[in-house]
Amino acid sequence: LLTTRHRPGCVTSDLPLYSSPAPDFAAFPQTLLDQQELLCGQIAGVVRCISDISASAPALVRLRKLKFAVKVDGEFLWVLGCAVELPDISCKQFLDQLIGVFNFYNGPVSLAYKNCSQEDLRAEWDTFIEQILKNTGDLHKIFSSLWNLDRTQVEPLLLLKAALILQTCQRSPHVLAGCILYKGLIVSTQLPPSLTAKVLIHPAASRHQPCPCCFVILGAALPPNVRIMPVFLTEEEATSLREFPREQAASPAAAPARLQQCSAQQPPHPRSTGAPTDNATGHVEPMAWMLAATPESACPDVAWPDGKGENGHLPGCDLENVKPAKLHSPPRDEGPGLGSSLVKELHLPWGEEEPDLSAIHIPEAQETETSSGYFALPSTGAPDGGGPCFEEFVRDSGDPAPESRDAPPVVMAISSVLSPSTPEMLSQNGALEQHDDLPGDSSQAPFPREDHLPGRTSRPRSWPCSDLRQRGTALPEGEQGVERSVGAHDSCSAPGGSALPESQDDNGPSADRRDPGLAPASCMGLVPTNLYTHSVNGLVLSLLAEEPLRGDDAAIEEVYHSSLASLNGLEVHLKETLPKDAAASPSRTYNFTHYDRIQNVLTANLPQTATPQDRRFLRAVSLMHSDFAQLPALYEMTVRNASTAVYACCSPAQETYFQQLAAAARSSGFPSPQDGAFSLPGKARQKLLKHGVNLL
Amino acid sequence: MKCVLVATEGAEVLFYWTDEAFAESLRLKFGRSENEGEELPALEDQLSTLLAPVIISSMTMLEKLSDTYTCFSTENGDYLYVLHLFGECLFVAINGDHTEDEGDLRQKLCVLKYLFEVHFGLVTVDGQLVRKELRPPDRERRVQVWEHFQSLLRTYGRLREREQCFAVEAVERLIHPQLCELCIEALERHVIQAVNSSPERAGEEALHAFLLVHSKLLAFYSSHSASSLRPADLLALILLVQDRYPSESTAEDDDPQETDSFSLPEEYFTPAPSPGEQSSGSTVWLDEGTPPTDAPQIAEDTLQMLVPHSPVASGPRRIFLDASVKESHCPMVPHTAYCLPLWPGINMVLLTKSPGSPLALVLCQLLDAFSLLEKKLKEGQEAGTTLRSHPLMGDLRQRMDKFVKNRGGQEIQSTWLEFKSKAFSRSEPGSSWELLQACGKVKRQLCAIYRLSFLTTAPGRGGPHLPQQLQDKVQSIMQEKLTDWKDFLLVKSRRNVTMVSYPHARAPRLVHFIYVDRTTGQMVAPSLSSSKRISSELGRGPLATFIRTKVWSLIRLARRYLQKGYATLLFREGDFCFSYFLWFENEMGYKLQIIEVPVLSDDSTCIGVLGGDYYRKLLRYYSKSHPAEAVKCHELLALHLSVIPTDVLVQQAGELARRLWETSRLPLL
Repeated sequence: LLTTRHRPGCVTSDLPLYSSPAPDFAAFPQTLLDQQELLCGQIAGVVRCISDISASAPALVRLRKLKFAVKVDGEFLWVLGCAVELPDISCKQFLDQLIGVFNFYNGPVSLAYKNCSQEDLRAEWDTFIEQILKNTGDLHKIFSSLWNLDRTQVEPLLLLKAALILQTCQRSPHVLAGCILYKGLIVSTQLPPSLTAKVLIHPAASRHQPCPCCFVILGAALPPNVRIMPVFLTEEEATSLREFPREQAASPAAAPARLQQCSAQQPPHPRSTGAPTDNATGHVEPMAWMLAATPESACPDVAWPDGKGENGHLPGCDLENVKPAKLHSPPRDEGPGLGSSLVKELHLPWGEEEPDLSAIHIPEAQETETSSGYFALPSTGAPDGGGPCFEEFVRDSGDPAPESRDAPPVVMAISSVLSPSTPEMLSQNGALEQHDDLPGDSSQAPFPREDHLPGRTSRPRSWPCSDLRQRGTALPEGEQGVERSVGAHDSCSAPGGSALPESQDDNGPSADRRDPGLAPASCMGLVPTNLYTHSVNGLVLSLLAEEPLRGDDAAIEEVYHSSLASLNGLEVHLKETLPKDAAASPSRTYNFTHYDRIQNVLTANLPQTATPQDRRFLRAVSLMHSDFAQLPALYEMTVRNASTAVYACCSPAQETYFQQLAAAARSSGFPSPQDGAFSLPGKARQKLLKHGVNLL
Repeated sequence: MKCVLVATEGAEVLFYWTDEAFAESLRLKFGRSENEGEELPALEDQLSTLLAPVIISSMTMLEKLSDTYTCFSTENGDYLYVLHLFGECLFVAINGDHTEDEGDLRQKLCVLKYLFEVHFGLVTVDGQLVRKELRPPDRERRVQVWEHFQSLLRTYGRLREREQCFAVEAVERLIHPQLCELCIEALERHVIQAVNSSPERAGEEALHAFLLVHSKLLAFYSSHSASSLRPADLLALILLVQDRYPSESTAEDDDPQETDSFSLPEEYFTPAPSPGEQSSGSTVWLDEGTPPTDAPQIAEDTLQMLVPHSPVASGPRRIFLDASVKESHCPMVPHTAYCLPLWPGINMVLLTKSPGSPLALVLCQLLDAFSLLEKKLKEGQEAGTTLRSHPLMGDLRQRMDKFVKNRGGQEIQSTWLEFKSKAFSRSEPGSSWELLQACGKVKRQLCAIYRLSFLTTAPGRGGPHLPQQLQDKVQSIMQEKLTDWKDFLLVKSRRNVTMVSYPHARAPRLVHFIYVDRTTGQMVAPSLSSSKRISSELGRGPLATFIRTKVWSLIRLARRYLQKGYATLLFREGDFCFSYFLWFENEMGYKLQIIEVPVLSDDSTCIGVLGGDYYRKLLRYYSKSHPAEAVKCHELLALHLSVIPTDVLVQQAGELARRLWETSRLPLL
């Protein structure tokens, strides 16, 4: 099979016509060198020519036996060759993904090729390609999906535990968000899919220290199995990450559920979020995540089934105020749904003096199991509580919809502030970090360590609810937004009310403070960040952190120690519980594939080696997937040829494909109700329920 | 923003066509860079300058990698380029306005290539000779040729956009049995027989005559000795007629209300058999059809199209069609087509065969044999020794010797001698490369003879043809016969079959359907008009236009999935549900098991009739597994409201297909 046809290459220089300008091929494993040069020169020439005529560069160049996704990036040209069977759209996504990975680890391509030797970069490409080829199955190629652990095979509690580890790490200074991988597969992630994709692929171990330009050699101070390397986020990613923890850390316990739920909540948002690299939606996506995450926490039952979080509690107040509030336990006010959410978020630290995750024992977890297991299945559709909760949120929290719609301007505003690095940059980093970590900090409050950063007292003003509103003030509708914000505060809490004007004042400068942190990003729209990875055998914890982490030994230590024990435990559990061999279910009677468009992950029951019938399934899937991508109103398809029939349906959040393997009685193709092809939808609904796929 | 370009390997423009928007964009591009006052280069030169890099690169790739470009698309699909290599000519189609997808563009190229074949016959086999035809050195003549094909392309685009019959590429008939019978009789007696018995016919023999009302077929008569006409060829003829006498300018219709009385269901379901005709061995075609849909969205192409045509277009024209000559099938046999307008919108077409057709058969067979030989030489690198013993060679030698002896001709003689010395000489057999060269030369000579015999002396260029009086006589007889029916026909053609014919009680939620008999290449569909003046059941205006776009996209989807081997489709999109069925049956209507339909690559010639004759190939492919019986192929496309449950939909579709089959079957009894 043509599984190894990936040929990324990039051509330097001015794309002259008809000549091969000393091409820098990163990896062209299958083509002969002179053919590479030829292809390179010809395609570069053709791209130039087409750009001339059409005023936009070709995105796809197809030959009879090959197709190339093309991306023009300044003076560089990215070209990825794929087998011609791969859908056009997947080919383009694949290239975007590869470019993303390259930029993530090496920074802007122009810089990378200036600073690093081509040898090094070639080696790096080889590693990337090798990993991709090793892990990318046929289905993954079609959907450009992430490599995830089959969640049905994992004890739900372990997923919860992984999520909690991430939560804990997030509370350490500098850390933004992260994900946990086991043997290269996602166990849990807090990152948006486009970013998870980049973390999934990692440079070779040898890259740990070499190329001084790209990877800074760190002192030997790092704990074993840990490395920290500089990586580069796109501005959208950086913005979303810095927004994320506020909401995220707001409710540590509910987080795993929320993460799963994001997918279910997403549908109201543009369906194009399925395309991770779409710039237009790139801004919207993070907002969507946030909005989806916040309302969820408004549902006590879903978030914290044991009901411990029910204590009514006024949010938005200073820590000193919080504790008394808890003691008073006033009757919960139904109105501000967010209020109760904040309680939950604070619950864990208080309920157990030590937030040690290993303290979560199975017995206690039994109660949560049902719900966590439930959420562990990606996008089973909106859980019962999800819909109403969201609506409630919409009603309660004023007017979030315009906010999300207007999100791009906000993001733009932030990014447009980006100026070439200012002198105060370093000195302000602390402040920036502090600002970003606000919610996390508040939950950290009980820990002695937390006061190592200055200026914390003003922090609580930025609790999620007000934060959301304050951003409203940045919107063009201005005053209205302020009013709403005031109203929200009034209804939410009395104690913190006096802080309101300050908090508004605070909001303005905070944007400025953020600016220096982003400033180094001025290297071509990329934001330097650190990637902290800690591997325990097959298990890898990857955390994205603000740059100062590298120099902050104490912070590194904290992250390391807070996660070490639980990582070890998780690794052992995963190793023990995961089926050793994917002993394909002995007799499949059907094939299915369920694609989560939001999280970009797949659930499928296809075996490693495809039978002819499986290949027919794959072919149908790739065709239908392209059509689903192109025709937004299309939601159901049945296609049939002489040997197979495949049924597919899709919603803004998911795509599902189903094929029955039993040899159907051959029909004539004449429309007949007896024809088995037309009963596929019913069968799919029935059979897929046990995989957690609900098509009803 | 549309453009079509045909170029040689060396990027010489053999033909181009652009729409106004594209031409304008070129003007802007070149206007800016050129000096003031200096005249802009000709459009063809601008195009060649712009596209030369792509053309040359495409040839380089082919040479070095044995692979070449088939398609480019820019971000968001703003621009789409489709490239297709036919022989030595590269065809390029560009679309910059999202109105056509890759399949459409490729089909356009295939149709253009087919039109070249219809006009130049086997001359298209040879790159150099076809260059002479497509790009005559004489500038004026070149402009004429290009304008002719440009106009054909515009007409094709318009028909494909508006007419269901061109969208699915099947002939649509006017349904009126009595009238049809009357016409067939008139065609037989007063046209075919009248011409063939006339002493002034100058060796021409009338083979087929048919009547068209707009783009729909009213009646068709073939003489005893004629072989049947392929659906593709008939469609091409309709295209030529529509190009010459576009139906847009015709008085649309008088009173739409009046039509309803004529389009009653029973009329359609009780077509009268035509007893007289079967005995004479002619093909009797019942009528039926859909109205041409002159849309509110009249493209600028159309307006240009209405501009008077170049002189080349009028008068009898040489065309090359598939036919059987002396019991053997032969592609591209020279015919002469006479298009005789009766009234605006109603035309009669008369096809005659020139006495030279046996020569065409011989040339065609010889060319075939040499092409086969060429292929073997290229593939196997067989040296002359093994080839000489090949049975094919002995036969070829014999036939060629005979041909050369009969035809005489200095050049062909010497070329043939040279080939023989290389291929058959025992002392010094030529290398396969030498043989290939010699083979190419012989082929070119054969093509040159073909060109000389059929193109240089074509009726359009003063070659022999039926005298004008004879044409006039035939024309006036038909006018006389049809004069009472004229107005009726014009209206009828717009509202041919209506949904009223398919009682909604039986098929609730059915919005539209198209039923195609691919064996005969005919279709039945309710009329679908977006014309302002004519309303159908769907009404007029936005709703009708919306349904039309849905139907057209259904056709596109069905075609694409068929290309990938899927014979049954069911889609739900928005408020509509599309279904598509393709099946095979025998003469008696017994449904045969479906087979694996070949899976074609994206760059294969399209699923269509005009450019590629896909269904004929499909039928041949299927017949291999059913050698004993005559296999028929049918398609049904249906558009339902999406509230319909699947089982009801399928049941309705089945019933509809059965009813349509019964009615379509009657005339054959």
